[in-house]
Amino acid sequence: MPNVYNWQIGREMPYPFEGARPTKQFAMIFDTNKCIACQTCTVACKTTWTSGRGQEYMLWNNVETKPYGYYPLGWDVTILDQLGVQRMNGPVYSGKTLFEAAPAGEIVLGYQPTDEDYANPNIGEDDSTSEMAQGVWMRMPHMQWMYYLPRICNHCTYPACLSACPRQVIYKRPEDGIVLLDQHRCRGYRECVKGCPYKKVFFNPMTRVSEKCIGCYPAIENNRQTQCTITCIGKIRLQGFLATPEAAREDNPMDYIIHGAKIAKPLYPQFGLEPNTYYIPPVHVPPPYLRQMFGHGVEEAIAIYRRASDDRKLLAAMLLFGATNEIIHHFSIEGNRVIGYDEKRAELVRVPMTEPTYIREAYDARFDAYRTNVT
Amino acid sequence: MLRIPTRWFPLALMAAVFLAGASANDSIDVIAVEAAGPLKDPDADFWVDAPVTRVGMQPQVVTLPHHADIAVTEVRVRAAHNGRWIGVLLEWRDANPRDLLVPDTFGDQAAIQFPVQSPASPMMGNSGGLVNIMQWRAAFQRDLEKGSPGIRDLYPFALVDLYPDEVLNLTDARAFTGALGVDNPVSRPFDSPVLDQVAEGWGTVTVKPVQKADGWGVWRDGTWRVAFTRPMIPLTADDPELLPGSESMVALAVWDGHNQEVGARKSWSVWIPLRIEE
Repeated sequence: MPNVYNWQIGREMPYPFEGARPTKQFAMIFDTNKCIACQTCTVACKTTWTSGRGQEYMLWNNVETKPYGYYPLGWDVTILDQLGVQRMNGPVYSGKTLFEAAPAGEIVLGYQPTDEDYANPNIGEDDSTSEMAQGVWMRMPHMQWMYYLPRICNHCTYPACLSACPRQVIYKRPEDGIVLLDQHRCRGYRECVKGCPYKKVFFNPMTRVSEKCIGCYPAIENNRQTQCTITCIGKIRLQGFLATPEAAREDNPMDYIIHGAKIAKPLYPQFGLEPNTYYIPPVHVPPPYLRQMFGHGVEEAIAIYRRASDDRKLLAAMLLFGATNEIIHHFSIEGNRVIGYDEKRAELVRVPMTEPTYIREAYDARFDAYRTNVT
Repeated sequence: MLRIPTRWFPLALMAAVFLAGASANDSIDVIAVEAAGPLKDPDADFWVDAPVTRVGMQPQVVTLPHHADIAVTEVRVRAAHNGRWIGVLLEWRDANPRDLLVPDTFGDQAAIQFPVQSPASPMMGNSGGLVNIMQWRAAFQRDLEKGSPGIRDLYPFALVDLYPDEVLNLTDARAFTGALGVDNPVSRPFDSPVLDQVAEGWGTVTVKPVQKADGWGVWRDGTWRVAFTRPMIPLTADDPELLPGSESMVALAVWDGHNQEVGARKSWSVWIPLRIEE
């Protein structure tokens, strides 16, 4: 089996195919601290792509409450349990990836969820780890906690779904790194469903083949961010293209947030797929849980995030979340404005670095009324 | 951008040769019968005149993924022809027939394979060794018997307010129909539960644009009896030649859906000599 370099785990690892990175890599950043689980992204995706027959319980985008929310049920704890305890104390992961842990006769360690596992997409919603005792107050990290985890297909650099398919039905586009499943060639074996640890490939019982998130490729091809990104009312997402660490550009907001400031982390990097959705970890959650989910460097990421106002460049990049429907390839700061540009450096958007503040007198002489400031 | 590993193909051929030598399957005699038309009725009287060949089945463990613990280890085979159509009847024990597909269930399937080019690997052929694979699917047969399943057939208490195809015209609704909208041949049967296909190695099986194979299955008393039939005379270059008085070969595969067998996770046989009566 060829060896490929996975920068997220800091080492080479075996993968069934030769490593060949796309010209550009589709990527997304989620600020979990801003997500309120309103599911607007979920509904935007659902109405755009999966409202057909056989897709009733298929959610290419979902938002689940951690630690007790899952879609499908137990997706991460099941594969973590199968992988077993692994060591990841430093930037170089010394444990096993899912490819290295594959049992005899399998390409990748995986499991097939049951039909019932898909039946309760909102299970665990808003469930905290335990109840608050009378009279206690919150400390950091919180003693009782929960947070929201929005998820789409990770459009992995080393997709397990792609490697598991015996027919090479799944392919990674060289132009943007989006992972697609050929709806005409698929024969519904579900090796991809079994192989994907994030369980973002779904079987459609009406069409009898598998389907997955398409990264809104028709939008991407027209320089537009995905539906789940542009509809996010909390502006928690930024979608764009990500370089490898050595090729990172400081003026690409994705590169700067992930490789420069290092505040956004991949989801379960220890699986070895080099997933391309990145999470700014929740600041209030105990670090051991976050280290398991987002890998090495989570505490540093949170510390830098909490001081984001000290780093004007980081603050500027983060202000571009939800600022435009177009894909931002470059950004710069001019005075009190951050400017986002497209691939040809045409200006897309200007966002003030500091929101203007207006102070309103409590007494309004025009109406002879006192106002209560509610905002 | 990603290269398909080809390292398994030589190994597969070596394994096929080895296993063919190690196996002691008899040949299958294809008797001449008077029946007219395609020989696709598993309950037809003429099958009792055909000698039974017991074929040992092995788990597919050459290419990944494997399912070493297969459910079907023996298939009883009979064969007949009427000068225009050849028929092959497979029988195997199956206590739990499956013909309904939801995300965690797999349907029962069986396939017979004839060489088109020679030599060809019994494991779905190889580059330059084209094979014809006829595959019967229990789920297809259910569609033909009972109609395509709707959401209430799969989930009796499901509630759905609206589907795009109920409010959009056909052209606009097509985008919401996935594989059905691009006419994936495994989404729905044509007129038969048997797919007429060609292959040149693993991962290459392709449904032919013109379907000439047919068949039917009956499950009774814990046993599947599935008849396959196809024209004996090749009509196109990718059809097998199975003329009266000639000799050929056949290989088998069976998938027990209840045992989570699908795709490469199957039981298969080596090539079995086929003697076609004059």
